[in-house]
Amino acid sequence: MREQYDVTVIGGGPAGLAAAIAADAAGARVLLIEREARLGGILKQCIHDGFGLVRFKEKLSGPEYAERFIDQFRAAGIDAMTLTFVTAIEKLPDGGFCLTAVSRDGVTAIESKTLILATGCRERTAKQVAIHGTRPAGVFTAGTAQHLTNLRGVLPTKKCVILGSGDIGLIMARRLTLEGAEVLGVYEAKPTPSGLTRNLHQCLHDFNIPLYLSHTVTRVFGADRLTAVEIAKVDDAMRPIPGTESVVECDGLILSVGLIPENELAESLGVALDPRTKGPVCDGSLMTSCPGVFSCGNALHVNDLVDYVSESGEQAGRAAAAFCGAARDLAPIEIGKELLYLVPQQIDRNADNATVTFYFRSREPMGKSRLRLQCGDAVLFEKTYPFLRPPEMERLTVDLRDLPADGALTAQLTSMEGGA
Amino acid sequence: MKLSKLQKKLRAAYGGKYAVTQADGVRTVTGESADWAEIVAVCAMAADRKRGLHVVNDVRFTGAEIAPMRLPALRDRALDGRTPDVLIIGGGISGASIARELTRRQLDVLLVEKESDLAIQASGRNDGEVHPGIDLGRGSLKHHYIIRGNRMFDRVCGELEVPFKRCGQYVCFEQAALKPVIRAYVWKRRHIDGIDDSVVISGKELLRREPQFNPSFKFAIYNPMAGCVCPYGLTIAYGENAVQNGAQISLNTAVTGMTVEDGRITAVETTRGTLRPKVVINAAGVFAEEVARMAGDRFYSIHPRRGTNSILDKKAGGLLSSIASIKKLEVNSGHTKGGGLLNTVHGNILAGPDAVETWEKENYATDRSSIETVFTKQKGTAPALTERDIITYFTGVRAANFEEDFVIEPGRKTKNLIHCACIQSPGLTTAPAVAEDVAAMAVQLLGGPDAVPENPAFDPHRKGVPTLRDLPPAERAAYIEKNPDYGEIVCRCEEVSKGEILDALNAPLCVPTVDGVKRRVRPGMGRCQGGFCSPLVMQIIAAHQGIPLSDVTKKGGGSVLTCGETKGGGGNA
Repeated sequence: MREQYDVTVIGGGPAGLAAAIAADAAGARVLLIEREARLGGILKQCIHDGFGLVRFKEKLSGPEYAERFIDQFRAAGIDAMTLTFVTAIEKLPDGGFCLTAVSRDGVTAIESKTLILATGCRERTAKQVAIHGTRPAGVFTAGTAQHLTNLRGVLPTKKCVILGSGDIGLIMARRLTLEGAEVLGVYEAKPTPSGLTRNLHQCLHDFNIPLYLSHTVTRVFGADRLTAVEIAKVDDAMRPIPGTESVVECDGLILSVGLIPENELAESLGVALDPRTKGPVCDGSLMTSCPGVFSCGNALHVNDLVDYVSESGEQAGRAAAAFCGAARDLAPIEIGKELLYLVPQQIDRNADNATVTFYFRSREPMGKSRLRLQCGDAVLFEKTYPFLRPPEMERLTVDLRDLPADGALTAQLTSMEGGA
Repeated sequence: MKLSKLQKKLRAAYGGKYAVTQADGVRTVTGESADWAEIVAVCAMAADRKRGLHVVNDVRFTGAEIAPMRLPALRDRALDGRTPDVLIIGGGISGASIARELTRRQLDVLLVEKESDLAIQASGRNDGEVHPGIDLGRGSLKHHYIIRGNRMFDRVCGELEVPFKRCGQYVCFEQAALKPVIRAYVWKRRHIDGIDDSVVISGKELLRREPQFNPSFKFAIYNPMAGCVCPYGLTIAYGENAVQNGAQISLNTAVTGMTVEDGRITAVETTRGTLRPKVVINAAGVFAEEVARMAGDRFYSIHPRRGTNSILDKKAGGLLSSIASIKKLEVNSGHTKGGGLLNTVHGNILAGPDAVETWEKENYATDRSSIETVFTKQKGTAPALTERDIITYFTGVRAANFEEDFVIEPGRKTKNLIHCACIQSPGLTTAPAVAEDVAAMAVQLLGGPDAVPENPAFDPHRKGVPTLRDLPPAERAAYIEKNPDYGEIVCRCEEVSKGEILDALNAPLCVPTVDGVKRRVRPGMGRCQGGFCSPLVMQIIAAHQGIPLSDVTKKGGGSVLTCGETKGGGGNA
């Protein structure tokens, strides 16, 4: 017999938990499917603090933050399948979806009116940033190094170089130092750091770990275990500059070179992806181009803080619970080149739109600048920021109830620095 | 070229730098040079296949120090005193397939491999193409074996439960004017070389079959008998079937010396003890020349040729469904078809390889320039090809000799030796056929078929690990019902279950390393490259072997993945 649900959430990390709780609270029959044995997603291995400052006004560790949602999830009695992997999703002819899920219990078919994809993201690997040389042990993505250190209790390196100043890389610089490993430096190909300012201070400066900007790792050495890496300066286009190479001896290379939203299931459903975010193109309710399919958390776009991940999960959960298949009148928002991305990417003119939450990042660090949302010539919203840094995501809510019935939607970011 | 003419030519080109002598069908080149490319060019000039002459390179290379063969860390006497009927040196596709063919007879077969797994060197580092025999003229051993080998793949891969697809190959041309020449070439292939599958198809037909190809292609040669296989998968399957039929495979075992008395090998020194085999088969790949030297039977030299392949995300799999390459007019500098594109049995696009001469037999480091060479050329085959889809890349080193042909024959001076050497492309394709002949040569050396009875227990069928991902839900459910581990997905990208990983560890040839498991059932082969699953695979290996997590290695030897426990000590997850 096939189980029937109103909302099926795929992924039991912070986004999925929040989505399931919100959908359940809105009265929907909810199932959450998680591929790992325990709920919590990547938070399980994030034993550092700093989670929940926005939401709970408290500094929690990752597991503590997750626990708050897991407790709520359990208290609500929401159905969950853990250690269960969704292998296929089929659209049903009369609306809704049929999922095929594999677990130790066998192969289960699940029918659901709506889907929330809370599948998180994966890490970019060494070969995806064109590191050449041998293939020794000792090259890890920061997340894998964190898993080994924090969940398995084994140390991935004793003396390492970290490539990329993304937050996980910075966190691991501190974590490995605390475990007695020597972190020789963090190398960043961009001219500016990729991680949050607070992490630069708390993880590098406080531990005297040097940060080398406009440098990258070009090559690794060692037949069995890593013995050294080659470092080179890079030009403005982040290409290594010949003649600037130097060799640094180490037994570990930890990579924090970017996160990629995981949207293989979304793609199998024909969901349109935004090349900027690598996540689905969504409307204000976080519904994708495929009616009844919602996206949230790091599968939607890579967030800087988990608090916003939970928020987008709740948004998707409420919207999925309320989904009735109404026709949409979708208006895409065209964004200016100063914006790295804007989520959601389109607005359903038929929806209520009383509070639309936007997330954006600037493409480059900017001083005083103004974000302006327009419909045709009419300014819907504008806000001035004292400065913008791409690693720090910005969030704003806008009342779009008075959205004009026609006219192109645009979002522009303009520098207000003198002279420009 | 006659010796006197060759000597004259060498003097004209290089003065007195190089000398060539000729005796017993072998030309020996001597001299000294710091320029490896020049040494290769001189020795290649000395080769004369028409006269059946081999080339031995005794030129002293002063340009760099040639690293000695890497030896395994493991040292014990586990094999000491063994007296196998047949000792096979080398666990590549040649050695593994020969071992399996020999188990058809009642023989004590021992295969030694210095690496921690089979197919670690050339056999595991190629594109897996089962060649149709393009550009092989009559008279070479490559040509002699290619058709027979190619036609055996359906049966062998069926018996060994190895995925194989006969996907066909296109050699594509942009110049319509070449069509008559190519038609004549295809006619020659069919009627003179006996390679009868090729046809010429129009550019329109090509683009109908492969819509992503360069629209300016005017025509193509289509070779329907071309196919592909997972090269290390096939080697491991051959090895497992050999073990299942009674052969012994000793990994981490290097041959370090031999005693030769009265033209016979009487003792073989290895890193795991001294062996006294009746017959020795030299299938040592890039090190076959060193083995021949130890055996007192060196009549060929190997000039290693490196090639790099890239593997693309399965999402790019729509680029082509076959094997293809653009054919450019300029003469290929290296002895290769200049790389191509291939849709593997696993559904990834593979791009490459290039071909670079090198003195380094075990340098598998990749370079940016190799990737650029291949992608620049292959964008001419399929313009949508992009480096952005690369998930990994690897380098292999081919064991080419200067004759550019296989050496498959009994020892010339040493009686109980068989060479299966200088096996470069298309050595994977020819392996099933070569293995039959080499096994027959060994039987002959042991007294002939009458003296060596057949093995009545021989089972040609190897039970592969089921690929649950590919099964319909009902069959998959049946497997999970029998063993719930098949329902626990460990690798999300390739959808590999814990049950499949344990099957790999319980197979006849257990290689309990992260790479060993990866090569057998694919966890870590996908787009995240093991980011998520490698700690889980490590945990499964540790539990299966009863070892601490910190003892698990990537590929054996010193390739430890972790450096002991954290301050808090072993985790509980």
